[in-house]
Amino acid sequence: MSIRRTAPWLIAVAAVCLLGGAAPEPAATPEADQKAFQAYFKDRFPQVPFADFANGPYAVNAPMRKQWEDIMQFPPYDFALDEGKTAFETPFANGKSYADCFANKGIGVRQTFPYFDTKTGEVVTLDLAINQCRTANGEKPLPYQTGMMASITAYMAETSRDKPFDIKIPDDPRATAAYEDGKKFFYARRGQLNFSCASCHAGAAGQRMRGDILAPALGILASFPIYRSDWGSMGTIDRRFTSCSLQMRAAPLPPQDVQYRDLEYFLSYMSNGVPISGPGTRP
Amino acid sequence: MKTLLAVLMAWVLTGPARAATQADAEAAVTAAAQIESQAEPGNRWVPAEAALKAARSALIGEDWDTAAAQAATARALALRSVEQSKEQQTAWHDAAIR
Repeated sequence: MSIRRTAPWLIAVAAVCLLGGAAPEPAATPEADQKAFQAYFKDRFPQVPFADFANGPYAVNAPMRKQWEDIMQFPPYDFALDEGKTAFETPFANGKSYADCFANKGIGVRQTFPYFDTKTGEVVTLDLAINQCRTANGEKPLPYQTGMMASITAYMAETSRDKPFDIKIPDDPRATAAYEDGKKFFYARRGQLNFSCASCHAGAAGQRMRGDILAPALGILASFPIYRSDWGSMGTIDRRFTSCSLQMRAAPLPPQDVQYRDLEYFLSYMSNGVPISGPGTRP
Repeated sequence: MKTLLAVLMAWVLTGPARAATQADAEAAVTAAAQIESQAEPGNRWVPAEAALKAARSALIGEDWDTAAAQAATARALALRSVEQSKEQQTAWHDAAIR
């Protein structure tokens, strides 16, 4: 076969390859992402029951789980639960209370946060909703990372225990954009160490990072807020995002920054079906 | 004459580097800050910010050499953080679970 006769075939095949290769990969839907995400962790940790992903590193490391079970004889977050319950039930100066701001009077609702607010076009986390409730009732907002915010969210999480994450993405392009923003934040590398959230909590989940066992991303927010021995106090999701950023030598964003809320939205949606286990405790 | 030339060359080769002037230091800090601002929030590096802060402190203290040196460090780190930001605009897709 001469080159002259072969050339048209080669050109045709090359053109098909080029055109086919150049076509952009269709964007995955949130539903497809969630299915793939959950399958990935189920495959990685076939011995872990799905609901147990709510327990983070304790689900994937037996010695650590034993220590945790011993610690849970006297949970270190108990003081925060008491404080949070008292604050939650104490009326504001205007006579109203947190119960007036939430569905079901704020009891057993943690699993529905964060949600996408179609009025404002933004993701609303439980922490943000608590402060919105406060300011709407003439109270000062609480600091986001620790203290009373952690105590109140601890109480609200405790009333929601065992209820599976039930995060919705409404049919609104802004909601999809917020989800995609959170997804990008999770997978994009940042900081001087060039790590992404996924580097530790997907690819290296269950492995050691110095003395710590890296928690799988599936269900990772189910136990928040947490008492962390490293902190010696309670901390919210904002506090964890901040410390994760610093560990990667990336400058953290302000608490409740849009990107952090979108990240929480993505991670919580990925964890739909995993039960709330908060408040939790971590080394 | 040869001896004088040798001494002169030795002084040029081994002598101290030219000290930074106020103008040098201020220009270096401005350049570093300009590059640092190009990195997206959430992609800025802690050591770059720390070096820039140290450079600004040195400017206030009129320590031009330290200011210029810290600004050079900040600039180098900030450049890398900007590169990382740009690269990750698309590279993150490859890491996504699908």
